[in-house]
Amino acid sequence: MANSYAILIAVLLFPGGLFALALGLTLKGADRRVAARLQGRVGPPLTQPFFDIVKLGFKRTMVPDTASETVFLAAPLVGTASMLLAVALIPIAGVYNPDPQIGNLLVLLYLLAIPGVALMIAGSASGSPYGAIGFSREMALMLAYEGPIVLVVIAVALRTGLAEGHFPTFSLAEIVHYQQAHGAFVLDPVMWPAAAAFAFFYPANLGIVPFDIPEAETEVLEGPLLEYSGPALALFKIMSALKAVVVLSLGVALFMPLPLTGGVGLAAWVGQQLVLVLIGVTAVRVSRGRMRIDQAFVFFLKWPLLLSAASLAVAAYYTAGGAL
Amino acid sequence: MSADISRTCKLPVGPVHVALEEPMYFRVDIDGETVRGVDINAGHVHRGIEYLCTKRTVYQNVVLTERICSLCSNSHPETFCMAAEQIARLEIPERAAYLRVISAEVKRIASHLFNVGILAHLTGYDTLFMHAMQVREIVQDLKETVFGNRMDLAALCIGGVRYDLDAETTAYLTAALDKLAPEAAELAKTFRNNGSILRRTKGVGVLTREEGLACGVVGPVARASGIDYDVRVVAPYAAYDRLNVPVPVLPDGDVWSRAMIRLTEVGQAIQLIRDCLRDLPEGPTHLHDRPDIPEGRAVAKCEAPRGELIYFLKTSGADEPERVRWRVPSFMNWDALRFMFRGAKLADIAIIVNSIDPCVSCTER
Repeated sequence: MANSYAILIAVLLFPGGLFALALGLTLKGADRRVAARLQGRVGPPLTQPFFDIVKLGFKRTMVPDTASETVFLAAPLVGTASMLLAVALIPIAGVYNPDPQIGNLLVLLYLLAIPGVALMIAGSASGSPYGAIGFSREMALMLAYEGPIVLVVIAVALRTGLAEGHFPTFSLAEIVHYQQAHGAFVLDPVMWPAAAAFAFFYPANLGIVPFDIPEAETEVLEGPLLEYSGPALALFKIMSALKAVVVLSLGVALFMPLPLTGGVGLAAWVGQQLVLVLIGVTAVRVSRGRMRIDQAFVFFLKWPLLLSAASLAVAAYYTAGGAL
Repeated sequence: MSADISRTCKLPVGPVHVALEEPMYFRVDIDGETVRGVDINAGHVHRGIEYLCTKRTVYQNVVLTERICSLCSNSHPETFCMAAEQIARLEIPERAAYLRVISAEVKRIASHLFNVGILAHLTGYDTLFMHAMQVREIVQDLKETVFGNRMDLAALCIGGVRYDLDAETTAYLTAALDKLAPEAAELAKTFRNNGSILRRTKGVGVLTREEGLACGVVGPVARASGIDYDVRVVAPYAAYDRLNVPVPVLPDGDVWSRAMIRLTEVGQAIQLIRDCLRDLPEGPTHLHDRPDIPEGRAVAKCEAPRGELIYFLKTSGADEPERVRWRVPSFMNWDALRFMFRGAKLADIAIIVNSIDPCVSCTER
């Protein structure tokens, strides 16, 4: 029983749930503030994303006549739930180790795809043609970026597993422990292609410029989110805040866990997320324009796929060579 | 899951759409992401200004025509005044002719910078949009300082201009241009070299020279399609015959060419204003107060930021004109949209529409 309470706390309080939500919204606020400063604007206060959620919470959710109501309302719930669980799956170096009962890296990969699927379902259930276009764009983009990310994860699993002398490990805790003992993968030239490929995954998965194609405001008016309002929209905003934490902490766990523990470890982990947001999200989105979906698709089939395939080959070759 | 992504479906773009600055309504047939056909509708901002013009005196119409549209708000009264002066056989003072060029070119700079800024916004490059608007802010401050207003300059009257440049405003104008020129050049360089912009605008919305001639396109749209046509050169008015007006022409006819033409014209407009300040003669800025407009009819045209603007004015000798009619550049460029949309992607619609710099308020009045 104690075990299930621990899982519940991990999902709802720390590191998932309230903690992750607060962190995600703060990161979002920091991103908006810094982006504004880079563009010569003042920008909203750091707490603006919190205010937005509260405001939406007090409003009504309008369901369009053309929408299929159950699916329309279920989509944000499913998306948010998947992300709540996903945060609880990712270890924080020296602070938190997920219960292996909840799942491993493979489960996490599936969970990571769910927000995208939820948006696709939301778009098509809303009955709006813009939602339908958002649906097809989201699908094309997912097809493009899911392949490389799976290869990257396998490369990391191979590197850790073979170095430890057994099969590839899909336990994130083990991957983090290995790096804490032997140095972070981001400092290991063998893993650089994998880290580079993962860097492309950030903007695509988080839906920011240049890959905010499914929700492009000036093209498809927020696409799948067009018909959403009130608490349902707030849930989507919560989902994307949680997703930011999931994707960022996955990057930290895969490539740069620090050999620290306790309060210092937690503070350093939050600091890492902030730095990653400012470099990987804010700096990227203010310095370029949006791609067209066909351009983004070709782009992903070219560079990230090439990099991730190379990372897999390099990791397998060097790790196996080292083990032999 | 009723998303028909394989079949053609109808997508409404507008009349209210974040990417459109003014109400326009496009019914787009899309096949996946590709545009198969476009139905262009207009008529959402009809205000009956042409009728209103016949209920106001000729002098009140100078004020009224300035309010047809905000971005071409200098070209409308200018052309109207030119038509009225033609009927009354008035020669405007030499100083007024130069001052008219200055006000027209200031508005041209602001209009073109606005358009390329919106182009950056539509491609999702908001930082460049903010930057373009900051550069434009120099022009806005200039307008406010020299003319007293940030949009409607109220610079014109029948028989001359209503403003004058003294030593102080001339010094401010010169300083503002010196500040603007390098910023505008930098902006043009960004649009010429930036990968994000090139990726979304090169080869998009192509209008060939033949199609352009068939549609009768004017202004930057024409010049970007290799049509060497500028009213300031073919039918000079104000002081343009005494100034060196270069006409930039690009052959490709895509969205990028149209943006580049506008950015080039910004630089040339800065030079034109400098030339005017250099050659500005002394003398009165307008004729004696309120010359009478006799019976007659006249056609006048000028080069508005968007292209050739034509005014027809018919008077009966009474205070109110009998008929005022104008043909705006957007009306001619509008028709070319259906050529530009050929084979376009859904993501390009807003970019292509913006590239003709449509002025719906002018077109529908």
